[in-house]
Amino acid sequence: MISFGDSANFLRLFGLLGNGALTTLRIFYLTLLFSLPLGLIIALGRMSHLKWISSPLKFFILIMRGTPLILQLIFFYFAPFYMLPEGLRFSLPRFTAAIIAFSLNYAAYFAEIYRGGIESIPRGQYEAAAVLGFTKGQTFFRIILPQVIKRILPPISNEVITLVKDTALVQVLGISELFRVAKNESSRIFSTTPLFVAGLFYLIMNWVVTKVFEKSEKKLSYYQ
Amino acid sequence: MPILQVKNLVKNFDGLEAVNDVSFTITRGEVLAVIGPSGSGKSTLLRCLTLLEKIDQGTVIFAGKTMVETSSKGLVQYAPEEQLRKIRPRLGMVFQSFNLFPHFSVLQNITEAPVRVGGLTEAAAQEIAFELLAKIGLSDKANAYPYQLSGGQSQRVAIARALAMKPDILFFDEPTSALDPELTGEVLKVIRTLAEEKMTMMVVTHEMSFAYEVADRVLFMDKGQIIEEGIPEQIFRQPTNERTKAFLKNFNYGSRF
Repeated sequence: MISFGDSANFLRLFGLLGNGALTTLRIFYLTLLFSLPLGLIIALGRMSHLKWISSPLKFFILIMRGTPLILQLIFFYFAPFYMLPEGLRFSLPRFTAAIIAFSLNYAAYFAEIYRGGIESIPRGQYEAAAVLGFTKGQTFFRIILPQVIKRILPPISNEVITLVKDTALVQVLGISELFRVAKNESSRIFSTTPLFVAGLFYLIMNWVVTKVFEKSEKKLSYYQ
Repeated sequence: MPILQVKNLVKNFDGLEAVNDVSFTITRGEVLAVIGPSGSGKSTLLRCLTLLEKIDQGTVIFAGKTMVETSSKGLVQYAPEEQLRKIRPRLGMVFQSFNLFPHFSVLQNITEAPVRVGGLTEAAAQEIAFELLAKIGLSDKANAYPYQLSGGQSQRVAIARALAMKPDILFFDEPTSALDPELTGEVLKVIRTLAEEKMTMMVVTHEMSFAYEVADRVLFMDKGQIIEEGIPEQIFRQPTNERTKAFLKNFNYGSRF
């Protein structure tokens, strides 16, 4: 039975979960901030004709997509200490380790989305730009990338929505994000209410994400 | 005075000689039509001249400047990139499939290169663009996007986009092959106007009657080689080569001939 009890308890719960949600949001936007540009760089490297650039990146993408994110979180937190020789050992703050793991993991997924988008642009676009005298940089940033962004918005929105929910995984490092806070509160008061309210928080965040992507897609619908 | 000199150009694709020892020149103000069966190397030749493909042998001299040459040892040497960068905008190209930039309006399709490559101000580029739009009869489409245009309109915009860079030579790679028959006329009309204005052009085409009427000179290509070359009158009415005769026999010229 879901009950909010009296209003004082209710406000307390909202305050608690709100704090957790702030941590969730910080992980969310920092991950996007780093992984979106990093993914593009990885995609471009992955498409390089130079084997010594593309092969390691292919391997990187395999590892990041092929192992659990929860394991990667643990790895980036403990590896600098346990895997380095004595003297070089150091520990990352939990939050930093979490951001590194999330950014690299999402960059790998974004890289493949970018690659799909870039490879879907017809060769004629590059050729038209080349005969007009555009440099490679101009061609990419003025001609190709804007078209790529329009095409990849739907798959990117999928990933971003998943990211909102994936942030719950950082609790494995003991970071008090939304889900961990709710779970703790839930066992403390013997009630599932905090968990359901946390679910509502995630839903609201993703409703906003969905709206933002809908708006962006609409903005880019002026051409086909 | 030759604006473009091509000597012994060779281009291989996977061991196949797409262009095999081709030499010719284009004079300033001349309209050169290139005809021949599919796969005869016409388009590949254009792509080599516009630097979209790297050649395997030969020399290309544009306006007295060597774009690419081959040493006596057979080493192909392109001019330094900075020099090629200056040459590229002077060689205009119109593609079979238009290749307009879909995310730009018609106006921006035309102004983008003059602004970004040519260094013109937005206002100066727009002035040129509007002049060109008037010329191709699409002044009312300045703010339209490519998806809103018919094939014929798209190709006319593509011609305007190329002209905005004020090229010395305009290359056309089968400019009407992707168009419905009723739309080819409007594109050919624009090219005809340019010919009257003495624009130097090299046109790969399957429109024989157009080549006959507009070209100053015709190259017939087959299997990567120029088989026959001459004024339209001669190529179309008295072809000497057997392959040219066989090729032209397939075309019905109607009452014009």
